[in-house]
Amino acid sequence: MSEAPALLTIEALGRRYGARWALRELDLEVRRGEIVALVGPNGSGKTTLLRILAGFQRPTEGTVRLFGKDPWLDRVSVMEQARFAFAPPALYPGLTANEHLTLLPSTPASPRERDRVLEWVGLSERAHEAVRNFSLGMRQRLSLALALIPVPDLLVLDEPADGLDPLAVIELRERLLELRQETSLSILLSSHLLADVEQVADRICILHEGHAVFTGNTEELETESQEWRLVVSDVAAAWDALSSHFPLVRQDSDAVYVPWERSEPPLVREALEAAGVRLLEFHRVKPTLEAAFLKLLRQRLDSTPTLSPDR
Amino acid sequence: MSLSLEALKLRRSRRPWVVLAALVLYVILMLFGFATYAETETGGNVEFRYTFENESYFNGLTFAVYAFYFAALLLLPVFASTEGGVQIAGERSAGTLPLLLSRPVSRQRVFLSKFAVAGASLAMGVGLFLVLVLGVGLVFVGWGELRLYPGVLQMTDRPQSLSQAEALVRFLWVWPAASLAMLAPLTLSLLISTWSRSAVNAVGLSVSIYLVLSVISEIHFFRELRPFLFTSTLGYWRGLFREDIPWSQIFREASRLLAFSAAFLGVGLWRFRRQEER
Repeated sequence: MSEAPALLTIEALGRRYGARWALRELDLEVRRGEIVALVGPNGSGKTTLLRILAGFQRPTEGTVRLFGKDPWLDRVSVMEQARFAFAPPALYPGLTANEHLTLLPSTPASPRERDRVLEWVGLSERAHEAVRNFSLGMRQRLSLALALIPVPDLLVLDEPADGLDPLAVIELRERLLELRQETSLSILLSSHLLADVEQVADRICILHEGHAVFTGNTEELETESQEWRLVVSDVAAAWDALSSHFPLVRQDSDAVYVPWERSEPPLVREALEAAGVRLLEFHRVKPTLEAAFLKLLRQRLDSTPTLSPDR
Repeated sequence: MSLSLEALKLRRSRRPWVVLAALVLYVILMLFGFATYAETETGGNVEFRYTFENESYFNGLTFAVYAFYFAALLLLPVFASTEGGVQIAGERSAGTLPLLLSRPVSRQRVFLSKFAVAGASLAMGVGLFLVLVLGVGLVFVGWGELRLYPGVLQMTDRPQSLSQAEALVRFLWVWPAASLAMLAPLTLSLLISTWSRSAVNAVGLSVSIYLVLSVISEIHFFRELRPFLFTSTLGYWRGLFREDIPWSQIFREASRLLAFSAAFLGVGLWRFRRQEER
C-alpha cells in the first residue's frame, strides 16, 4: 500500500477562524486504493478539513494537494477525480432520486448506470419518489449514489453511517470494501465514532482540537495505548515517583498505570526503588480499540489543560 | 446541465405558484377597483378631463395598462427581488450549495445559470402577466382603442389615442422592455444573496432596498439622486404607449438599466467566485 502514489497530500495544514485554530499542523496522505478514516469528536476539525479539501475554504497555513492540485485554486479540475458526500446529506426535496442522478453529475449517467447505482445503494424502488419523502438514511444513500457517478479516484464521505440502521452500516462497510476491490478507488471517511470506521479503514487519523493526535492502523492504535499495570505497596508514593519520570502516568485505587511504549520495566523498578515503593506485581494491559481511542483523547485533554486559542 | 437543474428546481418549487396566486389576486382587486370607481365616478355620465373622458375611454386595454403599470413598478420588482434573493442564500441556508460545488462545475457557471433561469422565468412571468391583464380586460370589460391622458401615470404629456391593433402591438413591445427593467432588481438581489447565509434575510433586504430606492426616486426632494438610482428609470417602457415613441429616451434609459444590471451581476459574480463556504 505504501508504494502506491499519494492522491492526497496535506502538509502542516492550519486553518484559523478569528483567533481560534480549527486545524493546526496537520499532515496526512491518502494513497491510491487506501481507506483512511478521520476520527474525532465534534469540533475536532474534521468538517473544516473536508471543506478545505473540497476547495470551499482556504487554508490559513500549510498546503493541500489533491491529485497534485490546490483544491481552492483548481476546484473544478479536482472535482473531476474526487467526489464528496457531506453530512448531513442536503438534497433538493422537490426532485426525485432519479432526477438528482440525472442532473447533478457533470457527466449525465446513462439509465443503466443510474439503475446500477440505485440498486447498489438500495434505492431502486424509490427512484421516482420526491426526496422530501426520504428518511435520513435514504438521503444518505442517495448522497453516496451521487458521489459514485462516475466512480471517482477519491471518495470523501462525511459521517456516512449517520442515519443508517446497524444492518445498513454493516452493508455500507461491505459495499465500500467491494468497491475498493473492484475499482481501487481511495476513500477518506470522516466519523466521530471509531466503531463506524475501524473495520473498514486501513489507517486512522484521530483529530482532537485540530491536531492529529494519532495516525496509523488499528493495531498501532492499540499498541500505542497499552500500559503497564503496576500493583505496588503505596499507590500515591508510586504515582509521585513515576510521574516525575514518565508522562501520562495515572492511578486508580489499586494500581499505577504507565504508558507501555514510554517505559521499560527496569526503569520503572529503579524509580520505584528509589522512592521506597515495593513492586508487588506488574503486567501489560491492552485496551479495546474504543478504549484506546477514548484514552488517547483523555490523554490529550490532560496534556493540554487550557485550550489555547492561539499558540 | 446546470441550467436544466435550475429550471427543474424552479418548476418544482412553490414560488411560481405563490407569485401566480398573488398576481391573480391583484388583478381581481384591480378589476374590482376599476368597476366600482367607474360606476361611482362616471355612472352619471360625469366627464373627467384627465381621468375618464367618457365611458368608452374605460375599456379592457386601459385596464391592462393600469394593472400592468402598478404591477411593473411594485409587484413584479418585489417578485424579482425575491427570486434573486433566494438563489445563492437559499442554497446556502438549505445546505445544498456544497452539493452544487462538489461537482466539476465552475462557480461562474453555477452563478450565471441561476441568473439565466431566474431572468428567463421573470421574462415569462412578465409575459404571462401581460396576457392575464389583457385577457381579463377583454373578458370583463372589452377592448377598444387605447386613450391615455396626462396624469398620475406620466405616460403621456398630452391626450392621445392608439387604435386597438396598434395598442396590442405596443403591449407586445412592452414585454421585453419591462422584462429588461426587472433585471435590475433581480441582479441587485442576486448580489445581496451572495453575501447572505439566510434566504429570508437576503429577500427581506433586497425588497427593502428596492422599496426605499423607489420612494427616493419618486420624491422631488431627492431629484439630484435620481440619475444614480436604477429605480428612476424602471418605468421607461411607458414611453412605448405614446403615439410618437421617444426611441432615443427609451434606448438611453434601457442602457442605463442594463448598465446597472451588469454592474450588480458583475459584483455578485466577483463576490461569489472568491467567497469561502463555511
